[in-house]
Amino acid sequence: MHLTSSFRLLPALALGLLLCGCYSRSDMKGETSAASSPAETPAATEATTETGPPLEPAAASSSPTTAGVLAQVNVFLEVSGSMEGFMPKTAANGSNTRFQQHVAQFLSAVNRSSAARKNYFRIKEKPYRDSYQQLSQTVRAGIQQPASSTNIPTVLDTLVGGYYAPNTVNVLISDFIYSPKNAGAIPYISTDVTDALNRTRRADLAVSVYGYTSDFRGTFYPALTTSVKKINGCCDTDIPYYFWVIGPADAVRRFDAALLEKQPAQQAHFGVKYPTPASSLLNRFQNVGSWYYGEKDASKRTAGASYHTVAVSSVSAREPVEFVVGLNLKTLPGLYRDLNYLKTNLKLQAQDTDAKISSVFAATDQTKNSSGAENQYTHFVKVRVTKLGKAARPLQLMLNDQQPAWISQWTTKNDSNINQAGAKTFALSSLVDGVAAVTSNEQDKAPVFAIPLTLQPAD
Amino acid sequence: MKSFFRFLYELIGTPQPPSETPVYREVIFPNVGLLTIGLSLAMVLIFYYIINRAMGVATFNKLRHWVIFLVLNAVLAFIIGIWQANSQAVASHSYVYWMSTWNAILGLFWFFLFSVLLKRGSTNASTTPF
Repeated sequence: MHLTSSFRLLPALALGLLLCGCYSRSDMKGETSAASSPAETPAATEATTETGPPLEPAAASSSPTTAGVLAQVNVFLEVSGSMEGFMPKTAANGSNTRFQQHVAQFLSAVNRSSAARKNYFRIKEKPYRDSYQQLSQTVRAGIQQPASSTNIPTVLDTLVGGYYAPNTVNVLISDFIYSPKNAGAIPYISTDVTDALNRTRRADLAVSVYGYTSDFRGTFYPALTTSVKKINGCCDTDIPYYFWVIGPADAVRRFDAALLEKQPAQQAHFGVKYPTPASSLLNRFQNVGSWYYGEKDASKRTAGASYHTVAVSSVSAREPVEFVVGLNLKTLPGLYRDLNYLKTNLKLQAQDTDAKISSVFAATDQTKNSSGAENQYTHFVKVRVTKLGKAARPLQLMLNDQQPAWISQWTTKNDSNINQAGAKTFALSSLVDGVAAVTSNEQDKAPVFAIPLTLQPAD
Repeated sequence: MKSFFRFLYELIGTPQPPSETPVYREVIFPNVGLLTIGLSLAMVLIFYYIINRAMGVATFNKLRHWVIFLVLNAVLAFIIGIWQANSQAVASHSYVYWMSTWNAILGLFWFFLFSVLLKRGSTNASTTPF
């Protein structure tokens, strides 16, 4: 039998088929890395587009102390008579109050901070400029000439009107005991606060409220003066005091992260915007049932890639699908990292499915040291599905911005017998409601963050 | 091409664990499929055109010699399955062995198919296996 020349070529053809037909991991990466690199960090790009131009990129915002230095920090210490008990003259045994300890440390931290300018003020009927040393001395040795009383709406108005500037924060340290002129004004406390903050109509106004308690040695002036005007030699109970950080949203967020996150405190945030945290589905971490990443490029398994599409190949009540979403909440303040807050306020918005959050848990040493993708995340949300729509449906994981429970717990309607009432502040929730009314749109309250996912049947 | 290999390899069921499905469908099935076809073709060419034609070996053209190549081809196809799955670092699961076994069976099929198609070009073994 005679061979044609094309038959002679067959071995070469076979070899060619062998060589060029094979996909390998490395060349697949090579041909796609150029094309897909801009889309590799969707969370980061989302964050920057959402927060707008005044913010530095999301990557930089994870370390606010080094990024974008604040132009100015103004610290205002209220020095009315009611604050004297927080700052008593040093006792014979040299002991001080927790307020003195904490505020002196805080002032020192502000003074050491990277902000370009730091100003210190005592607030009486109006702010008086002090040096760091003078104000720190006031905290340590007590108030020299206490003001008779300060009116909170007036103070807020002054701060927002005269000291509000881009890249600047104003920190107001006070007990926030607001006593209206007469009892008839009490129902209008929140409106007064709203009006005070709203007078200058700052579009990006944000307020962070940090609550602390301290022992108190002196005269306590209740807000409600119907039964008693003052309580001498007070108090057996701790008295709350607050730091209110007021300024443009971006500046407040960075100041909070740099100076107020380290110490334990109760906190509430109004109007502060946070970059969307990094997140991803995890296909090798507590996954149950038949599902896989629905992204087209999931097979490449690029290092550090994040996934947000769940493709479900089969699901039923007997064979449910469970998937875990990893969240990196490092950039959020402590309130939103608190597991109890997350458990009550993380919500899933879904269509045509019974997808539900079945558990929320924080990273453990095991997840942190794991070699899997779960080691990048601080919190995990497990979602359970037994029913599915016929086509791809959006699924939103969002954290609702809910007023934290401590605010109502720290509120009292009558502080004339403070020793029995405990560590509470008169009408605190009204003050806070007044702030919330300014910074949030009443119709729909924006969530702290929303992570879009897709739930789809596998093809 | 991908959908052809996906069809071929999912005759024994979908990949396990399910989370590895994209890697199997997009990378492992096409790789293993092409490598196995190429291997089978190369083995057939070696048997019919190198040993039994170019080299002119006269004592290696019986059915049992063909079976030796057939079995060797299946063993290599099994190894290709394991090797490709491991090189993609999929989660370990008995499915890797099922898939490789299925690939060995497919290797038998490809070898037989190429034998039937190409045996006539051989001088010494044009009637092997039948």
